[in-house]
Amino acid sequence: MIVIETKPWQAMVLHAERVYPNECCGAMLGHQQGERKTVTEAIPLENSSEREQREHYEIKPEDLLAADRAARERGLDLIGIFHSHPDCDAYFSDTDLKNSCPWYSFVVLSVKNGKFDHGNSFIPDPDQTRADREDISWQKS
Amino acid sequence: MAKILIPTALRQFTELQDSVDIAGATVGEALSQLTAKYPNIKKNLFNDAGKLRSFVNVYVNDEDIRYLDREQTELQGDETVSIVPSIAGGASGIAEPATAALTNEEIARYSRHLILPEVGMDGQLKLKQAKVAMIGAGGLGAPLGLYLAAAGIGRIGIVDFDVVDASNLQRQVIHGTNDIGRRKIDSAADRMRQINPNVVIDKYDTGLTSQNALEILRPYDIVVDGTDNFPTRYLVNDACVLLNKPNVYGSIFRFEGQATVFAYEDGPCYRCLYPEPPPPGLIPSCAEGGVLGILPGMIGVIQATETVKLILGVGQTLKNRLLLYDALNMQFRELKLRRDRECPVCGDHPTVTKLIDYQQFCGVYEGTNPAPNAGEVIDPIEVKAKLDRGDSFTLLDVREPHEYQIAKIPGSLLIPLGELPKRLNELNPAAEVVTQCKSGARSQKALELLKQNGFGNVRNMTGGITAWSDKVDPSVPKY
Repeated sequence: MIVIETKPWQAMVLHAERVYPNECCGAMLGHQQGERKTVTEAIPLENSSEREQREHYEIKPEDLLAADRAARERGLDLIGIFHSHPDCDAYFSDTDLKNSCPWYSFVVLSVKNGKFDHGNSFIPDPDQTRADREDISWQKS
Repeated sequence: MAKILIPTALRQFTELQDSVDIAGATVGEALSQLTAKYPNIKKNLFNDAGKLRSFVNVYVNDEDIRYLDREQTELQGDETVSIVPSIAGGASGIAEPATAALTNEEIARYSRHLILPEVGMDGQLKLKQAKVAMIGAGGLGAPLGLYLAAAGIGRIGIVDFDVVDASNLQRQVIHGTNDIGRRKIDSAADRMRQINPNVVIDKYDTGLTSQNALEILRPYDIVVDGTDNFPTRYLVNDACVLLNKPNVYGSIFRFEGQATVFAYEDGPCYRCLYPEPPPPGLIPSCAEGGVLGILPGMIGVIQATETVKLILGVGQTLKNRLLLYDALNMQFRELKLRRDRECPVCGDHPTVTKLIDYQQFCGVYEGTNPAPNAGEVIDPIEVKAKLDRGDSFTLLDVREPHEYQIAKIPGSLLIPLGELPKRLNELNPAAEVVTQCKSGARSQKALELLKQNGFGNVRNMTGGITAWSDKVDPSVPKY
């Protein structure tokens, strides 16, 4: 179960809508107790993909490293990655799976016609063959 | 001792420590000591062959070891070693070589396909991996979009710059009454996603032009032509030949339609059939000539069928055959087609090797209207003022009688353009004449005809009765 607090959730949606029609990406910081993860902060990151950004994203490892450091400095953990799917649903695509990492929750935001539509969270397996859905809840306000 | 920072998710394997101090002369040694100390972390970092997993990057301080000596990178003992995954992805799962399988939802959805031996699991996966570009989301695009989405085509591009108008709804069944005023690509994409949320839709809010056509069409496997004008039709044809992609062609006119598959394997292209465009204005568009609303449904569904067959690689396609359909008499006929070895695009010695100016090729600029001379046009508002003042002039309506029944300007004289040459005697060459039709194209031809026959004072009312309804009298219906 991943719970996203109001402030980071608003930041994620805003980032996804701003970057539309391209895909956005970013890191989610917070803490984890057992299976329950709570996101208290979201950090938008640059989409560094050199492919068509309407359908691809890539996070530079140094950006992720910086996000991880920021988390440690604030006594938080890097617990997830978010990205958006412009004008299609929030599924976990083959591309997502093949470039994923089992250590994080992957939150996908569907943005349709520039407006947030729905979101899902996934946890991939180490062999990148499948991703299980994770329960997700966010607090609008 | 170097300090290895442990990512959150892996701390369950390191007794919840967020960093571990490890001795080791190289990064490789430090990592193997880490896994020796905490065996359960191993499968997260290394695959079965003992190699670092593809998504694992290792940093020594701020440097990626890939740019140092990889796992042989030496450690002095005061470094911080970070384990950072590489993360990427994107919606275009289908663009990748698919290891994809069908989900249980998809198996249920496509079960009537899956039990057809000609489709089956393999065929449905081909459909899921297929990328189809639809040019136009109008009459032909409507059934195409609905059925291609329902069939489970993985990725569909829609190119259209137009918005939904009330006059579209009689045939463009992908759009609804509530969609009037919306972009057609938005309205069509919404409806297609309602039918099948698995489909990835790329929307191109633009007309197809010589500048953008190759770029837009390149990512797709098949192009389906649902255009309504000759310049775009030649453009789609030439782009498909140049990109070596099949062009699933359809066209409609009043009660008759055509369909075939161009530029496929060694088959003909559109130019083999029609080397030259017709003279501008000879063939009216749907807006000018009218069209039976069901007709594009029939032709679009034939195009969708051919598209699906091309993807599956089954059956006989319409390659080398032009299918003609006559709705009034409910007849299908077929013409044999052959590739023309002299064809300027797909022939043995092509002379057209890049996209050209298709407006110029088809002799049209700004739609189908010959450019009127300034001084030979008159605005509807001015015509209204002349009528109100009681000026002596003839307002000559050159539309057809059935159009006149739908909407007319009081005081106008109806002589259809086709009858005008033999009814000139009903008009006085010395009198002032204002010509008028639906949108201004036919009345421009009437003006030319009158001038050639000695009429000295003729002007064409710009925008026709449509503009009259917009500017002067909204109670006059637009059709």
